[in-house]
This record gives sequence, C-alpha cells and structure tokens, in this order.
Amino acid sequence: MTVSVANDMSIFSLVVGASLPVQLVLVVLILTSLFSWWYIFIKLAIIKRAESSAEEFEAAFWAGGDLDKLFDSLGSGLRKTQGMASIFEAGFKEYVRHNQQPRMDVSDVMEVARRAMRAAYNRELDNLDSHLPFLASVGSVSPYIGLFGTVWGIMNAFRGLSNVAQATLSQVAPGIAEALVATAIGLFAAIPAVIAYNRFASSVDRLSVRYESFMEEFTNILQRKS
Amino acid sequence: MMISAYEKDVSWQAGVWAIVIHLLLLAALLLSFNWKAPQPLLNVAEVELWDSLPQSLPPLQVASPVETLPPVEVKEAPPHPPEKVEGQVLKTPEVDIALEKKRKELEQKKATEQLKKELGLEQKKQLAALQAEARKEEMQNSDKLLKEKKANETLKTMQQEALAEERAATQQAVATDKLAKSAASAGVVDEYRSKIQTKIRGNVNKSLCATASPELKFDIALLPTGEMTGLPKLLKSSGNKACDEAVERAIMASQPLPVPTDGLAFSQFKNLKLTFRPND
Repeated sequence: MTVSVANDMSIFSLVVGASLPVQLVLVVLILTSLFSWWYIFIKLAIIKRAESSAEEFEAAFWAGGDLDKLFDSLGSGLRKTQGMASIFEAGFKEYVRHNQQPRMDVSDVMEVARRAMRAAYNRELDNLDSHLPFLASVGSVSPYIGLFGTVWGIMNAFRGLSNVAQATLSQVAPGIAEALVATAIGLFAAIPAVIAYNRFASSVDRLSVRYESFMEEFTNILQRKS
Repeated sequence: MMISAYEKDVSWQAGVWAIVIHLLLLAALLLSFNWKAPQPLLNVAEVELWDSLPQSLPPLQVASPVETLPPVEVKEAPPHPPEKVEGQVLKTPEVDIALEKKRKELEQKKATEQLKKELGLEQKKQLAALQAEARKEEMQNSDKLLKEKKANETLKTMQQEALAEERAATQQAVATDKLAKSAASAGVVDEYRSKIQTKIRGNVNKSLCATASPELKFDIALLPTGEMTGLPKLLKSSGNKACDEAVERAIMASQPLPVPTDGLAFSQFKNLKLTFRPND
C-alpha cells in the first residue's frame, strides 16, 4: 500500500491539498494574471488602432489637399478624433480662431496653436501609457508573491516532518510540489507582463516621436500659411 | 480597474481572450502535470505461499529433462552402427557382441524410461491429488475469510450507527468544503475513517475507561504514509485522565494508520478530527 503513496499527483490535488496561505497566494496570483492578460489584450488593440490611424492620417495630410477641407472632414465624423488627428484638430482650430483677429501677431498665433497641440499630444500619450505601470509592477512583483507562497509551503512541509524519525522522499515530495505550484503561477503571471510591458513601452515611444515630429512639421506649415 | 471610454469597445474582446489564455494554461497543467508514475507493481515479484507439496514439485522438474533429452540421442544412435557393422560382419564378431550389448543397453534404457514415465505419472497423480487438497483448503480458508468479513461488516455497521452524529457533522463539513464535492470521495473518507477507528480500538486498554460511555476527541495530523507528524492533540477529554492517556497510547501504537492512497481523498486526512468512544 505504502509503495504507491503520492504517485498520483494531479495539479488539482496539489492545489486542493495546499495550506491556506498558499491557496490565498494562488488566488491573488491568478487574479493578477487575469487582469494583466486583459490589459495586454486591450493595449494590443489600442496601440494597433493608434498606429493604423496615424498611418491613415499622415497619408491624408501629406496628400497635399486643402487643410480646411481636411479639418472639415475630421469634424464631420461625430465620434471624437483620436491620435494624430486630434492633435491636428486642436492646433488648427486655435490657429483659425486667432488668425481671424487682426491684432494678433504671427508669433502669438503660432504660440497659441502650439500650446493647443501640446495639450492634445499629452492627452493622447496619457491614453497610450495607461495600464503600463500595472503591467510593470505585475512583472516585477508577482514572482516574489509566488516565492512567498513557496517558502511558506516548504516551511509547513518541513515543520510537519520534524517529529518523524526517518523522513523519506515520499513524505517530503508532496509538500514541496504543492509549494512550487505557487512559484509556477507567479512566473506565469510575470513573464507575459514583462514582455508585454517592454513591447508596449517601445511602441508608445515610437508613436510619441511620430506625434512630436508631426507637430513640428505642422507648425512650420501653419507659419508659412500665415 | 479603470477602463477609460476609448477602451470600452475592445475591453470585452480582450477579457474573453484573457480567459481563453487561462483556460489553455489550465488545460496544459492538467494534461502535463498528471503525475501518474508507472505503478511499481510491475517490478514487484509475486510470491505464492503453498502449505503442502513442497517436495513433490522439484523431482518433477528434475525428471522432465532426463526424460526428454536422452531419447533423442538414443534414436539417432542406431542408424550409424549398423552401417559400420555390414562392412565388417565376417571380420569381427566382437562387433556383434558390442551391438548386442548396445541393444541390451538400449532395452534397459527404454525399460528405465518406462519406469520413469510410470513414476512420473504416479507423481503427477499425487500432485493432482495434493493440488485438489490444497484447493479444498483454500476454499475452506476463503469461506473463513468470508465469514470474518461478514463479521467485520456487521461490526462496521454497528460502529456506523454509533457514529451517526459525527457522520452528520463531517458530512456538513464536507458539504461546505470545496474539496469533497463528489459523493465517491466522501464514501472513501468515511471508509478510511472507520478503518482508522477500528485499528485504534484494537489497541485501547478498555479497562482504564470504566465509565459508561466516555467520548474523546483527538486532532491528528497525518502524513501520506499513515504516520503522524506529531502527538495527537486532545480536543475533548473523557474526564478520566487514565482513559485519555490509554487512548493516546493506542493511537500512537496503531501507526501507520490506514489512509487513502488517492491524493485528493488524502487531503482530508492531513488534519483529522477523530471522535472516539472506547466502550462501544
């Protein structure tokens, strides 16, 4: 009978057999993993959308058409403009409004338009950056949470053995396997979060550079126009 | 957490994807972490113990090679000598004598073989008789075992009736517990619980528990091998210190306790609360 003890270990029996702190750690880790994957997919979709819309807008902008027409076509859509289009919209709106006033100097008009564009740019970047801090902290902290569960489980496993004269591997192994599940789940939560964080951070950086260079170029065009 | 307005249209899809990813992980874990180690039974030699015919078996095994091997040699031998004999018939009559000798030897061998065969038959008959006897004994033994089992079962039912209250309590605990949703595992738990109690009961010095029907409660922490990880904790005393100590000694003496080999069912026995009535 005792020979076959602990031969049948499924992941389910390991989790069920773990002590309460380890189970709590597992629950916390699974929740954070769910949230981080949710944010990963949200950010994937959002960044993809921002990149394609920037592509589209640049194509329309550099096609050489009239800026008033471009502005009207953006405003005609009822939904709020996003990304590069919203920067253009904010800058052009301010430019048109102040350019009609005769007292304003050209440099003042440019300054106003620039400020409006800067504000829109910051709003866009804030949207793109959202959830990235969460992914970063999941990536750095969840291995430690898993490690805490493991250490706790192993402590329990060894404390239980303290009164046994001859501890065999079959007595020690189940406790340690139970404990190691916590580390495994922690790593499962951490690895995708770190990879996603690095990828999204670089994508957001590239997008922000793109927005900034567009702002500079559009300022030049406005200055020429006035 | 916070989902801003511009993310709302993708958030549902993303949530579904996240759940799909985790279901995939769960499936992978369930499939790959199913540690069904190859049963050690394959390496274990099975030994049958026989009460009778320990000496009649070996002769048979020894006799059979003697019986089977020589005839082949003997049958091959005759064709060769006659050829030689025909060429030398007149020259050497001694050869005839030698031939006759060989024939005599052959006849003698055949006779001994027949004798051996007869002996073998007799031995086989004896063997069959002995085996029949052995079977009868086995049948009788199994009858006895059956009777013992029946007695045990009646004992168990008695104990189960006596433990009805505790049963109800444990079933409530089990119902609240996520672990034992299936009725089967609950049955296994009850089975091993009663096994543990009968084993301890056998070791209790009942004369120390004189009062009518003392009830004790112990908290026992068990290892998968059935050993305890510490001393049993007395939760409810019988009121008689000698009786408490007697039951504690009995628990210590009946290690290793019978525990289920199934990991899921065993998780209920890690911390076992045992109600015990020595005088029932």
